[in-house]
Amino acid sequence: MGSILEVRDVSHRFGGLQVLKGVSFDVAPGSITGLIGPNGAGKSTLFNIISGFLTPSVGDIVFLGQTTTDRGIAARSRAGLQRTFQTPQVFRDLTVRENLVAGCHMRGRTGVLEAFFGLPNVRREMADARRRADEIIERFDLGPWREIPAGELPAGRQRMVELARAVMCEPKLLCLDEPSSGLSTTEVQTLMETLERLNADGMTVLLVSHDMKLMEVTSMVHALCFGEIIASGSLHAMRESPRVREAYLGT
Amino acid sequence: MTLTLLVQSVLAGLTNGFVYGLIGLGIAVVFRGARIINAMQGDLALIGSVVAYLIAVSLGLPMILGFLLGVVAGGVTGFLVDRLMIRPTAKRRGTEDSFLLVTLGGAFAVSATVLLYFGRDSYVLPGIGGNAMVDVFDAAMRVHAIWLIVISTGVVLALRWFYAKTAIGQAMLAASIDPEGALTLGINVGWMRTMTLALGGLVGGLAGVLVAPLINIQYEMGLLLTLKGFAAAILGGLTSPFGAIFGGVILGLVEALAVVTISSGYKDVVAMTLLIAIMIAMPQGLFGRRGRLGG
Amino acid sequence: MTVSPDTQRARAWTWAITAAGLVVWAALPWFLSRGTIDILVFAGLYTIAGLGVSFLLGQCGIVSLAQSGFYGIGAYAAAYGTTALGLPIPVGIIAGMVVSGAIAAAVGIPVLRLSGHFLALATLALAIIAHVLFLELEWLTGGTLGIGGIPRIALFGFTFSTPFRFYYLVWPCAFALILFYTLLLNSRTGIALRAMRDAPAAAAVAGIPITSLKVRIFVLSAAVGSLAGSLFAHYVSFISVDSFAIDRAISFLLIAVLGGVRSIPGTIAGALFVTAAPNYLSRLGDIHPILFAVALIVAVIFLPGGFGGFVSSTWRRLTAGPRPSATGGP
Repeated sequence: MGSILEVRDVSHRFGGLQVLKGVSFDVAPGSITGLIGPNGAGKSTLFNIISGFLTPSVGDIVFLGQTTTDRGIAARSRAGLQRTFQTPQVFRDLTVRENLVAGCHMRGRTGVLEAFFGLPNVRREMADARRRADEIIERFDLGPWREIPAGELPAGRQRMVELARAVMCEPKLLCLDEPSSGLSTTEVQTLMETLERLNADGMTVLLVSHDMKLMEVTSMVHALCFGEIIASGSLHAMRESPRVREAYLGT
Repeated sequence: MTLTLLVQSVLAGLTNGFVYGLIGLGIAVVFRGARIINAMQGDLALIGSVVAYLIAVSLGLPMILGFLLGVVAGGVTGFLVDRLMIRPTAKRRGTEDSFLLVTLGGAFAVSATVLLYFGRDSYVLPGIGGNAMVDVFDAAMRVHAIWLIVISTGVVLALRWFYAKTAIGQAMLAASIDPEGALTLGINVGWMRTMTLALGGLVGGLAGVLVAPLINIQYEMGLLLTLKGFAAAILGGLTSPFGAIFGGVILGLVEALAVVTISSGYKDVVAMTLLIAIMIAMPQGLFGRRGRLGG
Repeated sequence: MTVSPDTQRARAWTWAITAAGLVVWAALPWFLSRGTIDILVFAGLYTIAGLGVSFLLGQCGIVSLAQSGFYGIGAYAAAYGTTALGLPIPVGIIAGMVVSGAIAAAVGIPVLRLSGHFLALATLALAIIAHVLFLELEWLTGGTLGIGGIPRIALFGFTFSTPFRFYYLVWPCAFALILFYTLLLNSRTGIALRAMRDAPAAAAVAGIPITSLKVRIFVLSAAVGSLAGSLFAHYVSFISVDSFAIDRAISFLLIAVLGGVRSIPGTIAGALFVTAAPNYLSRLGDIHPILFAVALIVAVIFLPGGFGGFVSSTWRRLTAGPRPSATGGP
C-alpha cells in the first residue's frame, strides 16, 4: 500500500516572505511520523496547508491517493483527516461528552427538520453517539469530567479532550500540532503512551513539534528548517545529523 | 431620456452621494479608530440637523450659529455615546454584536426622542445661499449642494492631514491598530476611543447640518442614512475617509439611475441590494485589503 | 446511561414548575379583561417570531433583523391566499412558510458567509427591502391601504374569533415550537451549532458543514417567523404595511436579547415584556419608545444572558449539587 499522505513539492509565500520552499515527504500507513524544526521553520504553515486551512502557492497535498489541495477543511475531515491545534480548541460551553459527540458529527445522517420534530431516528442516533463517546471517554480517562463544560478544564486536560474528539471520527490520519506544549512532564508521558496505544490500534499519526522527547514515539522524522526539509530518518539519525544539530543549536 | 434629464439625475445622484459619503465618513472614522460599527451615525446627523433647526429657525438666531452648534451637538453626543454605552460594554467584554446592538439601541433612543418632541412632521433647513440655483448643462443644481461637495472634500482632506500629521491623530490610529502596543507607549487607549467617537460625532453633526437643507429632517431618517452611509463606507474599504466619499458618490449615482430607469419607489431596494452585494463580493471595498469574510 | 440524583431532582422540579405554569396559563384568560388577553395573544405571536431570532443569535451567532420581512410574508400569504385566491387557510399559511423559507435560502446562501456586523447590517438591509416591497407591490399587499376581511381560523366548527379564543390557539403553537427548538438544541445538530459558535475552526475540522447548517437554521427561523405572521393576519383580520416596518424587526430582536438568546423558554419573558411594557409605559405618555430603546441598551450591557440567562444560572445554583472539581483528579 502507498502512502496515506503525500506532500508534493509544496511552496508557500506570505506576501514577500517565502515560508516553504518545495517541501516533499510522505506519511506511511501505520506510522507515527514526526515533523521537527525550530520556531519559524514553517511547521505550522505546512500543517495548515495539510489540513486545508491554507492553500499552498505551489504544490499538492495528496491524501489517500487523491489530490486534496483545493478541498475544504470539512471535506478533508470527511475523507478521514483530523487535526488538533497548538492552543487546544475545545468547544468551551459543551460538556466533555458533547465535545465528543460534536466530533463525530459527520457520521450522523439526521437533518435539521428531523431533529426539530424529535423523530425517533434522531434519538437513536444520539444514543449511539453518546455510547461511542462514553467508550472513548473511558479510554482517555476522562470519566469524572464527562458532564463538565470543557472550557472549565485545565489546559492539559483540554488537550486530551481535543485528542479524544479527533479520535471519535476514527480518522485515517491524525495530525497533532505541538500536542505537548503546556503539558507537565507526567502529562507528556501519558500523551506518549496514548499515542503509542492509538498507533498500536492501527492509527497513523503525524506529529508536529519541537519537543524532542515527544518524538521518541515516532518511527520516522523529517526536519524542517527555513522552509526546507534538511534531513529525514529515524530520531536517532536526526540527533546525529550535523545539519539538524546546526539548525537547532546554531553551532 | 433627454440629456437634460440625465444630467439632472446625475447631479441629484452626486448630491445624494456626498450625503451618504458624509455619513460613511463618520462610520469610517469610528471604525478606523475604535473597530466599532456605529449604527447611530445617521442619528447623529439627525441630532445635528435638529439642533441647527431649533437654533436657526425656531429661535431665529443666525444660521451660522445653528450650523456650528449642530456640529458641536453631534460631537457631544458622540462623546456621551462612548461614556454611556461603549465604555460599559467594553468593560464587560462585549462582542462585536453587542457593540452593534448597543448603538442600534442608541439610534432608536434618538429617533424616539425626536419623535416625542417634534412629532412625525418633517422640517427643512434653509441652505447656504438659500434656494439659489446654478445651471449645469441646462440642468439645475442648488448652490447649497455645491457647498456640500466643497465642504465634504475639505473635511476629507482635513482628516487625512489629521491622521497623517498630528500626534493625536497618530495616537488614535495606534490605539486602534495595536491597543497593547499603544499602552506601552503611554497612549491612553480608552481616551483615544472617546476622542474617536467624539470625532465621529462631529462628522455626523456636520453631515446633519449639511444634509438638512436637501432632505427632510424627520425622526425616522437616521437608520436608512446609517445603512446607506455604511454601504458607502464599505465600498471605500471601511476605514478610508476618501473611500467613504467615493463609495457614497457611486451609491448616489446608482440610485439616481435606478430612479430614472425603474421607479423612485424602488430606490432604497436598489441601494440595499447594492449594499448586500458589495459586502458579499467586495468585503474589502474597492481599494481596501481587509477581508471580512468568515465562517 | 446513568442519571445522577441531582439531575433527577432538577428534572422533577422542572416538570413540577412546567405543570404549574400550564395550569396558570390555562386559567389566566378567565380572570383577565379582553384588552389584557389581547396583549397576551400578541405576546404569543411575538414569542413564535422571536424564537427564530433568538435561536439564530444564541446558537448560531447570527444577528437577524430580517424577521419582520418573513413575518410580513407570512401575513400577506395568509391574507392574499384566503381573500384574493380563495385558498383554504392552512394552504395560505404553508405557502407563506414555503415562500419565506425559499427566500431565506436564496438570500442566506450568499449572506450567511458574512460574519459579525456585516451580517447584521445585511439582514437589516433585507428588512428594509422587504418593507419597501410590501409598500410598492400594491396588487399583492394593498400598499398602505392594506388587506381587510381576512377570515378567522376555524377548527371543527370552532372559530378562533375573540382574543379569549385565539389565546388557546396561539399559545399551544408557541409551546410546541419551544419544545421543538429545545429538541433541536439537544440534538446532534444543536450540539454542532454550539460547537461552531465556540470554536469555528475546530468545528470545521470535526466535519461540521458550517455555512450549510447556518442556512438551514436561517430557513427554519424564516418559516417560523412566517407562521407567526400568518397567525397574526388571521387574528387581526386586517393588515397593512405599518405592521412590518423596521421597528417590528427591532422588537423581535429585543425579545430575543431580553429573553436571553441562550434560553429558549426565556423568549416568552422577552415577548411578554415587549408587548406588555409599552402598554403600561404608554400611561407615561409618548416616552415609551425611548424607554424601550434604553431597555435594549441596558439589557445588552448589563444582562447579556437576558431574563432566561439570569433565571437559568440561579436555577443551576439552586438545584445543582457539588460536582467534581475541574482541576482535581478522579
